[in-house]
Amino acid sequence: MATVSETTLVTTGNESGTKWWTRFLDPSERTLAVLLLMPAALLLTLIIVYPVCRLVWTSFQNLSLTSGVPATFAGLENYTLMLEDPVFWETTWNTVLITLITVPGALFVGLALALMANLPFNVKWPVRLSLLIPWALPLSFAGLIFAWFFHSEYGVVNDVLRRLGFEGVIWFNSANWAFAAICLTIIWKTSSFMALIILAGLQTIPRSLYEAADVDGAGRIRQFFEITLPLLKPAIVVALIFRTITALQTFDIPFTMTRGGPGTSTATLAMYIHQNTVDFLDLGYGSALAVVMFALSMGVTAVYLRMIRAKR
Amino acid sequence: MSQDTTANRSIFSGKPLRILIGFILVVNGMFPALWILFTSLKTEAELTVKPITWLPHAPTIANYLRAFTDQPLLLFLFNSFMVAILSTALTLFVSVLAAYALARLQLRGRDLILSAIIAVSTFPLVTLLVPLFEIMRALGLLNTWVALILPYTVLSLPVCTLILVSFFEGIPRDLENSAMIDGCTRIGALFKVVVPLSAPGVFTAGILAFVNAWDEFLLALSFNSNPMLRTLPVGITLYQGEFAFPWPVISAALVVGIVPVAVLIVIFQERVVSGLTSGGIKG
Repeated sequence: MATVSETTLVTTGNESGTKWWTRFLDPSERTLAVLLLMPAALLLTLIIVYPVCRLVWTSFQNLSLTSGVPATFAGLENYTLMLEDPVFWETTWNTVLITLITVPGALFVGLALALMANLPFNVKWPVRLSLLIPWALPLSFAGLIFAWFFHSEYGVVNDVLRRLGFEGVIWFNSANWAFAAICLTIIWKTSSFMALIILAGLQTIPRSLYEAADVDGAGRIRQFFEITLPLLKPAIVVALIFRTITALQTFDIPFTMTRGGPGTSTATLAMYIHQNTVDFLDLGYGSALAVVMFALSMGVTAVYLRMIRAKR
Repeated sequence: MSQDTTANRSIFSGKPLRILIGFILVVNGMFPALWILFTSLKTEAELTVKPITWLPHAPTIANYLRAFTDQPLLLFLFNSFMVAILSTALTLFVSVLAAYALARLQLRGRDLILSAIIAVSTFPLVTLLVPLFEIMRALGLLNTWVALILPYTVLSLPVCTLILVSFFEGIPRDLENSAMIDGCTRIGALFKVVVPLSAPGVFTAGILAFVNAWDEFLLALSFNSNPMLRTLPVGITLYQGEFAFPWPVISAALVVGIVPVAVLIVIFQERVVSGLTSGGIKG
């Protein structure tokens, strides 16, 4: 907000004869602009800028609210502790794995849903609603609903498996099956947002391009790879940025489905941060963990931004 | 969904195939919500029959009665509503002011501010759990609605501001100028002319902010440990049964939680789609 001091000094000529309070009521455009941006700037400072500084600072502190000891400077202690902490590695690995599975998964399912939804349906609202409802459903609700789907005794998934002649699976007793159930749920929940973005992209592609390709004798599959996909790329990259950042923060669905179990085999980094902060009140260690997550998401954003720039 | 068939034409032009594909889409989107509705209408006895039944044989509202009496579900609903509505109102107020400055006024560094807003929209709020927890604790705001309203406002601020900027830019300046000639101040013109004319944009931004706040889980779980201040997602997730997780009651509570947002979505579906996708296409 360096512009504040400059702009308040600017007094426009036609106001020079008026009293100071009329100038206050009808300030110059630049002053007004700064005033109007103030509330947003204050909120962002309180909720993002100051907390980010505080986060980095706390990650170098010994700060546990349970001990009652005031904070002391710990240097890199929290970070070295982290490197030797198997739960840190496990939860980070789970988070990365969830991201690597569910982001491409949601992209492919979302692309398929968008291509299907782009057909010329006579009645459009059922299709639109069936893409919007999964998006609007809270992640935690999706987790609870799918936990019931995957219930070993009374779940609909095992019911269908049994009807098809398979054995039912006890999903939440095994690390791998629980992990699979979580990933399927995340893909279902997030693919509809992908589909909405991709669908909007599809609808901006001019029909004449396909007609020209028809004339040139290009088949449907070639048209898809040489017209549809390249033109969808900007929309897809933006959707991928948002999806990847939220995948790295995965908390709600594993928490509601398994609470990280069995053991810590399906716990994510966000869940470990939450546990250290809220349950153990070890703010120093929780901060160090959060710095790692912050670095991960900054890295992802940087890679994607480079992709966008390279394409332009 | 456009009139022009674009990407995939003649292969799928057969009507039966199109109906089948529509059916697949609807089942994919609706089945989980429908299934939880069916579950909520079954008696406890029916829920423990094997093999399981699909449609409820003897629909009952007993689970709904229990959902409201076993736990303070009405209070959870009230907390969720108040937090979502207050944060939506605050988001709209702050983003209307900011968007007007960005869309209309001479401003140095306008492009820089816009890209900063886009950067904030991808910010991982989870990483700020610790410092926000400390700040709310220091300000004595833990176990209040305010502890959630402030972060939720920031969560929706970027997208709402971007939507409003593009709407404000579409309002003719003449209308605003004539209001100012009639004696309105600029701020008066903003709230009497620009905002009413951008009502669709304000609505879209408001719905997105409401849904964001209604859905949030981690901060609500972390900041408000007092059961009386739980929002709906937290309240339902932390439901304690006497023995196992009480699925009949949970499913009824979930339906109660889905209905308000579903109604919003059904009424304003086209606005929501345009709001969600505007960011994606421009970026």
